[in-house]
This record gives sequence, C-alpha cells and structure tokens, in this order.
Amino acid sequence: MHRKVALVVTALIAMAFAAPVQAADPAKKITLKDPAGDDKGPGKYVYPTDPAYTAKSFDLRSVQIKDKGSSIEFKVTIGARIKDVWNSKDWDGNGFSLQFVQIYIDTNHKAGKGHTRPLPGLGSANFKADEAWDKLVLISPQGKLRLSSEVRYKAKKMRKDVVIPRKTKARGKTLIAIVKKKDLGQPTKDWGFQVVMQSNEGYPDKKDILTRRVNEIRGQHRFGGGHDSNCDPHVIDMLAGKAKGDASEARAQFAALQYVCKKKVATLPMIYPFK
Amino acid sequence: MQYRTRIAVAIGIASLTVAASARADLSKFDIGAKIYTKHLTTNDDTQGLLWRGNPFWADQIKGGNGVGSEFELNFKGRVSDFVLAGARVSSRFGERWQDYWESGNRMYGNKINTSGDSVGMNRASYMKLRGTWIQVSPQAYGIDYIRIGSSDLGMFNPWTIGRLRFIDRDNGKGYFVSGHIGGDNPLQYLLAAVALPKLWVGPWWSTGLGDPALQNPFWSADWAYAATLRWQPTDGTTIRFVGTMTRDLEVDPADPDALGSTNPGCKDKLGHSIPGCQADHAVDLYTRYGAINATLEIEQELGETSRIDALVAYSQQRIDENMTANGVKLNQGISPVVYKNTDDLAVKARFATDDPLEWGLSFKAEYFNIGSEYNAIFGGRREADVLLTEGFLGGGQLPTLNLANEFVDWDEQWVESCIGWHGATALATFENEDGDIKIELEYTFLRFNTDAQNRDVDSLYPDFLHSDGYTDTGLYDYANVSDRGRDPRSVYHRNQWRRSQIVVLRGVKQFDAGRGLELHWKAKYILDKDFRSLEGPDDDYVGHILQGGLKLAAIVSDGVKVALGTRVDRWFEENRRGTLELGYGDDETERISTYLQASYSFGGLRAGYHLEYLHKNQIRERESDQLWNVWRSKATMEVAW
Repeated sequence: MHRKVALVVTALIAMAFAAPVQAADPAKKITLKDPAGDDKGPGKYVYPTDPAYTAKSFDLRSVQIKDKGSSIEFKVTIGARIKDVWNSKDWDGNGFSLQFVQIYIDTNHKAGKGHTRPLPGLGSANFKADEAWDKLVLISPQGKLRLSSEVRYKAKKMRKDVVIPRKTKARGKTLIAIVKKKDLGQPTKDWGFQVVMQSNEGYPDKKDILTRRVNEIRGQHRFGGGHDSNCDPHVIDMLAGKAKGDASEARAQFAALQYVCKKKVATLPMIYPFK
Repeated sequence: MQYRTRIAVAIGIASLTVAASARADLSKFDIGAKIYTKHLTTNDDTQGLLWRGNPFWADQIKGGNGVGSEFELNFKGRVSDFVLAGARVSSRFGERWQDYWESGNRMYGNKINTSGDSVGMNRASYMKLRGTWIQVSPQAYGIDYIRIGSSDLGMFNPWTIGRLRFIDRDNGKGYFVSGHIGGDNPLQYLLAAVALPKLWVGPWWSTGLGDPALQNPFWSADWAYAATLRWQPTDGTTIRFVGTMTRDLEVDPADPDALGSTNPGCKDKLGHSIPGCQADHAVDLYTRYGAINATLEIEQELGETSRIDALVAYSQQRIDENMTANGVKLNQGISPVVYKNTDDLAVKARFATDDPLEWGLSFKAEYFNIGSEYNAIFGGRREADVLLTEGFLGGGQLPTLNLANEFVDWDEQWVESCIGWHGATALATFENEDGDIKIELEYTFLRFNTDAQNRDVDSLYPDFLHSDGYTDTGLYDYANVSDRGRDPRSVYHRNQWRRSQIVVLRGVKQFDAGRGLELHWKAKYILDKDFRSLEGPDDDYVGHILQGGLKLAAIVSDGVKVALGTRVDRWFEENRRGTLELGYGDDETERISTYLQASYSFGGLRAGYHLEYLHKNQIRERESDQLWNVWRSKATMEVAW
C-alpha cells in the first residue's frame, strides 16, 4: 500500500515537472533602458540655472512596463533622487515637482493611424508616419484636474488618446504611474514605445502643455543650448536605438534630435522591443 | 522679372524680415501679465478683501465682505548673452469694486465719504514697482552669476534666512554671487548681502523704528550677510552649509556728528568740554541687535529607496540694551525676541524609506530637539515646514517667534512655532498596488525644552499674552476678544511641564465612478498635558482634542472638480485657561463645519470657490458660553498670459 502511494506521489511530482511550462507572455513585463549622461537633447542642451534643477534630474535611465491584471504599471527611473522642491501638495500635485515624462505608445505600427505630432510643448519634433502614436501616458506632478484641463484646451484632437494615470507617485529615483488597462488596452508584442523626458512648468507658454522651454541661453527656469524660436525639439532625454542602454544610443538620440530651423525637424523614434 | 513676380519677391523678403525681427524681439523681451480677483462674503458686517490683516496697524482692507482685483506685469529681458534683467509691477490690492472711483487722496482726514478722495492709497489700486533685478554671467572662473536686486531669498533655509512669504516675494533685495569651484563634484557656493527689512527682523519687529529706546532710528545700513556651500562628494551624499548674520546698526547718540546728538557742541550742561568728544563729520555706529544662524545638513542616500537627512543648527542673538527697549516688559509680553543674549542649538534627523519591499509600505521617522532659545529671526515665517509631524495646527512648524499668520483668509493653514520642541515622529504610509487606496498613520511624542517653573515672562521671555487653550485658527482674532486659544507663537509660560501626543490617521480611496471620485478622510487625536505649576493648587491642563474630517471630491468634467466635506471637532479641556489667583475652568468646544468646494480650470482661467457653514459652541465653566453660526465663502479667479 505504502509502495502504491509512493508511486502515485512520485508520478504526480514527475507529471508536475514534466508538464510543459507555459511560457510567460513577454509583453507582461517590458524593460527599456537608456544610457547615462545623455540628458542633453540633441547634444548641447543644458539645465536651467536655478539650484532646484540638480544634475541628472532629467537623465532617463530605464523604463519598466508591467501588466498587473486590471492595470498597467509604468516605472521610469532617472539618474537622481526625485525631490519635491516646489511642495506639490500645495498645488494638488503628486509628490514631486520637476519632471514631466510623456510615454508615447504605437499600438499598431501602421502608417495612417495615430498622431505624428507629439503633445504641444515639445517644440518641433515629429514621429514617422508608420510610427505614429496611438496612446500617450502622462507622468506629471500636476493633479488630474490641471492635466485634463490643459489637454482639453490645448490638444483637443489628441484628447481621447491621452491617458492620465489613476495614480502617479515618486519613489527614490523612480516615477511610478498606474494606468487602468481599460484606458490603455492590453500590451502586445507589437507595441512600440517612446519615452520623452521633459520638465514640469506650472506657467507654460499658452500653447504648451505644462512643459519647460529650451532657449538659446539658459535662464533660471529655462533650459539652454537650443533656439529661441520653436524650431528646436524641447526634449531633454528620450529612448533611442534599441533601448538597451548602451553608449551608442546616446549618439542615436543626438542624431535623431538634430534640427535645422525651417529645414529639418527632429525625429522621435519609436522603439519596438520585440522587433 | 515680371512686375507681379517682383512684388511677390518683395513681399516675401519683407515677411521674412518681419518674422526675423519678431523672433529677435521674443528672444530678448518677455512680458507676462496676471489678473487676480477675489470675492469674500460672510454673514457679518465687516467690510474688506482679507479675513485677517495686519495685527499691528489698522490696514483698512481687512474684512469679510468685499470683492476686488489685482493686476500685475512681469518683464524679463535678455540684454545680451551674458546679462538678464527683470521687473514686476503690480497694483495695490485693496480697492473694493464698490469703491468705484477712488483716487488715493485722503482729503477729509479719517472720515470716509462718497467722494473719490477719502479712503487713501490702500484702496486706489495704484500700480507700484515691486521688484527689479539684473543678473550677470561674467564668464569668469568660479562665478556662475551675479544678481543685483530682488529675490525671494529661497536659496537659504527656514532655520536661517527663510524664503519670503508669497506676498513679500519681490520685497527682498540684495547682492548675490553664485558659482562653483572644481570639476566633477564641484563645491557650489553662494554669497549674499541682503538689505534687512525695516519691519520684522529685530526687537519690536523692526530694525529700530518704533523702539522707544531710540530717538533717531537709523535703518538704511542694516544688512544680513549669508553664505551657502553645497558639496556632493558622492552620488548619494550631499553636504550643505548655510551661515547667516544680521546686523542692525544704530548711531551713537553721544556722537556730536549724529542727528539729534546729546552732545552737539561737545559741551556738558555746565558748558565744559567733554573729554574725547570732537566733531569730525563721521558718525559712530553700534549694533543694536545682531543674530547669527547657521546650519550644517547632511543628506545620505541608503540604497535606491532610503535616505537619512540630518541637520544641526546654531542660533545666537546679541542685544544692546542701551539701544533696545524691553519689548517683553513694555509690550505685554508680545515680542519676537527673548530680551537677553542667547546661544542655542537645534538638531533634527529624518530617516525615510519609500516602499523598500514593494509592498506599498513606506516609512518615515524623525527625531528633533530644538533648543528653548533657538530663534531664526530672519527665518521662514510661513509657507514652510521644518518638521515631519502634522503638529497641533496642521500647517507646519517653524523655529522662530517671528511667525506671520497674517494677511490670510480663513481657508488657509497656519504655522506654529516649534521652539523648544523635543520629540519624535513616525509616519507609515500604505498604498495598494492598484493605486486607489492610500492610508497614513502618524504618531508624534513631544516634550518641551521650554518647560520651566517661575520663568520670567514679565521682562525676559515673551509669552504673547494669550497662552492657554487649543487654538482655533478658523475663528482667530489677534486681540483675543473671542477666546480663540493660544497664540501659535506662545512657547514660553511662567510655569510649564508639558507632554503631548499626536495621532493622525488619514486616507484616500479612489472609486471608478464617472471621471474619478475620491473619498478623503482624516481622524486626529491630541493628548496635551501641562502640569503648569508643580507646586500648590491644581492647575493641571489636560486637553483631549478630537478632530474628524470627510471629503468627497469628483472631477465632473475636464477642468471641473467639486467637493463636499465636513469637519467635526470636539475639544475637552480641563483647566483650560485662567490664573493661579483666579482659578481655572473646564471648557468644552463643539465645532462643526460643512463645506462645498469647486475649482475650474479652462483655457488659462483658474477659478475656485469655497462655501462653508461653521457652527461652534464653546461651553465654558468660568465664563459665559459662546456660540458661532457663520456662513462664509471665498471665490477666486485668475488669468495669466
């Protein structure tokens, strides 16, 4: 009897181990990386002079996208600890002040669908037609009310595709946003991503959505190294290349963001991690 | 070339030229403007645009019924690649719409009539230059910029020189040099000389004016000097030093060259020459009041999610009693300084870890020990907070007697002085994975370095006259005609042996309803015990302060948010106020407020509305009971372009 029981147990254990392990869906957790020290836009951008803008505060390092059932979690890590230098509680904010991250998602990789212009406020920059974005997640220190109002007023045509997270917070060097899946859809291996690092500006230009401008000469609250007209991309850091984090991606970013006023517009490349 | 083609080319060239010059203009010169309108209503007969005005002077604009507007212009220019400049011009806030045509004249003394010349400049909405600055980047080694002019002084900290309150933001002026030395981990520095405001930084809230000890106050050479150093030796370590010194100089009244000299001819009353006295067209100066405040702060990251911040602060004040009258003695104990030379220390250490196990659980703990005579005379006055605890009042704690809970409306938070506080706070936060629940639990234990028996509050330590009872900041009046409780600056008492505990539990739950529905809730309990005199009759104070709040908020449309809430307070206070001679009374307070809030943000317009009903019943043992049934509202509207 004991022998039989032992055999059954052994068989069950063997079956359990022998059962084909169901391969985890790779789109359940996606990690994208970006090299350190490329928080210079097309290569020459410099931070504003105010001491609040500490070094590496806009240096994108990694992005993690995780399927958590009914929600999707985005984790964006930068090079410095995230501080709440302007006490965001006072303006119904999310516990940090400086950063503003825009996560562009191409869900179909097809030309003719989606938007090729980014959200207003990134200066002159475009996505390629076949890399147009379909969804955009905003990780901002601003409260939902301000964000939704800005998008409604300044980006009416994009409004239905802009997703404001249910929850946004900072943890160490990481910004975390939780988005309802019903607002974004189910991530698949076809999805492409671009993550743009900008700075939160509470008093933006009248056409910009809460972004800080890049001028030729940096100011107390203005990035420098760009152009005083709007022909430069107001992108401080972003993903490039294959988003593995190697040094060549810094060069790829600088190249993609090159611009010549009235002649050449910077490009925001979409990264397709499974292609 | 055909005529039409030539015309087209000419137009094209012209338009290019216009575009180029427009671009140059934009890059060199920016103008921003703002209009702010506020409407207060209250079911009383006060008239004005501000619930609490200046406690010291009648400012003619405070009151609960009124609507008025303010307009400001901000100019910023790039003079060259190396020089920036800016200015702000703003109208005086105080003219009610009903004032209609006031010119600023006061042709009828203090009598107000229907002419346009009776209420003065405070109600005339005149435009005033609020601040100017020039900033130069000299392209010299080690210097990033030199700034001359206005600054909000936000580069220091509340323990030394505080960021100026919002209404004062351009009033601070000085010389500032900022730069860095070294390569990868440079030493960053800032040197500053800041003009001392004639109001507030010194005994009698002044740098001489109004001090009965001075016949001819001299305030035009009063400065604060400051230096900050910041060094980041490694990625995770930051060391910061801030040192400041204030000097209020006054003339030697015996100097024959001084205005109003007691020895103008260097002769005594009998006509004899005074030895050593000789006019030389130079006036000797003495320091009436001087203060030093310095902090050393170390911030150390411990891995990805944890860190420690530690701060040591030093405070010193020196008073020349020949040039400073005793404000404690002569001003009913209302003074921003202890009337003697002082030296004291403060320490604070905070540990914080943000969800280290990724279970949604974060934790902060803080130890603080602030000396009983620490005082940041030029420190943060409000809109800042140095401690983790919610404290008694909920609006922040600052290490100064110079708090500025004035020029506020009833919906604003109050700061309290933490001089002498010694204790610890623990704060645990839980956020669930879906991000729709957040719960915080906070506990603070407090003892007080200001505990003393028979402390001299008659001539040395200011007690701010009204030092008993839990403070009602929503029904506050400076003269305390309505028994509003302790002045938030009252840290010294004749007899004190006090221990306090504060527990706060608060949370928010988001619901998937409509565009987003949030339920906020809060419960707070304060156990406040003060044995007061340790001898003699029973005067022990025991306060059980209970507070509960509930708020339901919903975004009903893009840019529109409404909220409905209530706050219920019950305060049970044994031996709440009185004296040993007259005895003390046990008092109870019921306080309920219900409010409706709305905010609207659209196309650059921001508007807010707050309507509340407040019922308060104060049941007093030794005095008659008091009742409040107050309706009040505040509406604001702001556009900037």
